[in-house]
Amino acid sequence: MRAFEYIAAKDSRHAVALLAEYGAAAKVLAGGTDLLVELKAAPHVPQMVIDISRAEDLQNIALTDEGLSIGALVTHTAIMRSPLIREMFPALVDAAHTIGAVQTRNLGTLGGNLVTGVPSMDSGPTLVALEALVIILGPAGRRQLPLADFFTGPRKTALKPDELLAEIVIPKKNLGKPVHFLKFGLRKGQALALVNVAASLRVDWDKQLCIAPRIALGAVAPTVIRATQAEAYLEGRAITPEAMAEAGRIAAGEAKPISDFRASAGYRRDLIAVLTQRAVDGAYALAKAKRDQEA
Amino acid sequence: MANVTLNVNGETRTASVPPETTLLKLLRENFNLTGAKLGCDVGDCGACTVIVDGKPVNACLMLAGQADGREVLTIEGLATQDKLHPLQKAFEDRASLQCGFCGPGVILSAKALLDEIPSPSVPEIRDALSGNLCRCTGYTKMIEAIQDAARTMRGEPADKAA
Repeated sequence: MRAFEYIAAKDSRHAVALLAEYGAAAKVLAGGTDLLVELKAAPHVPQMVIDISRAEDLQNIALTDEGLSIGALVTHTAIMRSPLIREMFPALVDAAHTIGAVQTRNLGTLGGNLVTGVPSMDSGPTLVALEALVIILGPAGRRQLPLADFFTGPRKTALKPDELLAEIVIPKKNLGKPVHFLKFGLRKGQALALVNVAASLRVDWDKQLCIAPRIALGAVAPTVIRATQAEAYLEGRAITPEAMAEAGRIAAGEAKPISDFRASAGYRRDLIAVLTQRAVDGAYALAKAKRDQEA
Repeated sequence: MANVTLNVNGETRTASVPPETTLLKLLRENFNLTGAKLGCDVGDCGACTVIVDGKPVNACLMLAGQADGREVLTIEGLATQDKLHPLQKAFEDRASLQCGFCGPGVILSAKALLDEIPSPSVPEIRDALSGNLCRCTGYTKMIEAIQDAARTMRGEPADKAA
C-alpha cells in the first residue's frame, strides 16, 4: 500500500469534524474489507484515512421513535447475533449471513456495505424493500433520505466528501412487516450475488389481498432498484402462485442485467423471475405464520 | 508513524510502524510471527486469519493501528512447549493438511467456532471454514479433525476411525 496518514476518530462528532477538515483528501475507514482492498490496488491513495471503527455511538441497534435504528458501524456478525433483528427481521440476518465469510463479516459493517455502493451488495435489497432511511451527518448537521435514493450509480452514493453515513432506520410503519431475502451466488462463501432479491408485503386477510408489496433487486442494474411495476401488479391482488409468477416475469423485465464472466444477462433475467416469485412467496409464508402466531 | 500496543498471544507488544502497515505485516515483519500467511492479500483466502478479541478476522484487511489495544491470538499462541492444542493434534492425526499453507488460518477459524459452539454440526463447520481456502486436498479431513477435536475438548474419546 502507498503511504497515507491515519487518524482514529473517537466518535461520530469527531469524525465529522475531521471530515470537515480534510474533505475530499480523506477516506473513511470502517471495517476495511472494501477500503483496504481498494487502497492496495489504487495508484493514488488519499492523504488521510479517518478510522471510525472505534466510534461506539455508531454501533447501536435500537428501537427509537422513528423505527429500528442500526448504526452504520454495526458489523454483519452483530446483525446476525442481534436478538432484536433476529426477532423482527430474520431476512436481515439471512442477508448478512450471505456476505463474504466469517472473517469478512466480523470486520465488515452495514454502513460500509452501503457506502461502497457495489450493485451486488447483499445488505441493500432487504433494507430497500423495507423503505429504510439513511441518516447522514455533515458540517451542516443531520439530513436523511430514502436508502433507495442514496444509491446514485455503481460505487456511487449521495454522500458528499465531508459527510458521514451514521445510521440506517427502518421506519416505524414497517416494523414487523414480513420480508424475505434470497441470494443466488455461484457458491455459498465468498461469492458475489448473480442476483439478490427481497420482497416485503402485508396481507388483508379478510379480502385475501396483497397490500403494500415492495420488491428490491440487486446485482441486475447500476444500483439496487425497486421493481415498481411488479409491485403495482401485486397491489390489491390475491396472492396466488400464478400472480407471484407473473410478478417475477414483470420484475425480470424491469431490470437491466449485464453479461459478465459470472453469468449472462439472459440467465440473470431467468433468476430474477424465479427469485422474485420465491421471495414474494417467502414473505407471504411469513405473513401467514405471523397471523397464526397472533391468532 | 502509528504507535501500537497490543496483546499478542498473552504478551504485551509495542511497535511504531507506518500507518499503512497491516496487522499481518506487523505480526510477520515486526514480531516475527510468520504463522499467519500472506495469500491473496484481499480477504478471500483466509491464510492470514488471526483471532482478534475472540473473533477470526483477515489480518491483511486490518491496519496495525486498528489492532491497538486489542488482544490477538495467532497460531503460535495455540500450543504450549510440551502440548499441541487438540485441534493441532487432530489435524496431525487425520493428516488433514498437505502443504500446510492454509493450516494456521483453518485451525484458528476452527478454534473460534469451537469456543462458541462446542458441538458444531457439519454445516456449521463448513460455514466457519467458508473463508479459508485449501487448494491441496479439500475439506473432508479437516471437518473430521474438527469433530475429533470437539470431542476431545468436550472430554469425550476421539472417533476410533482416526
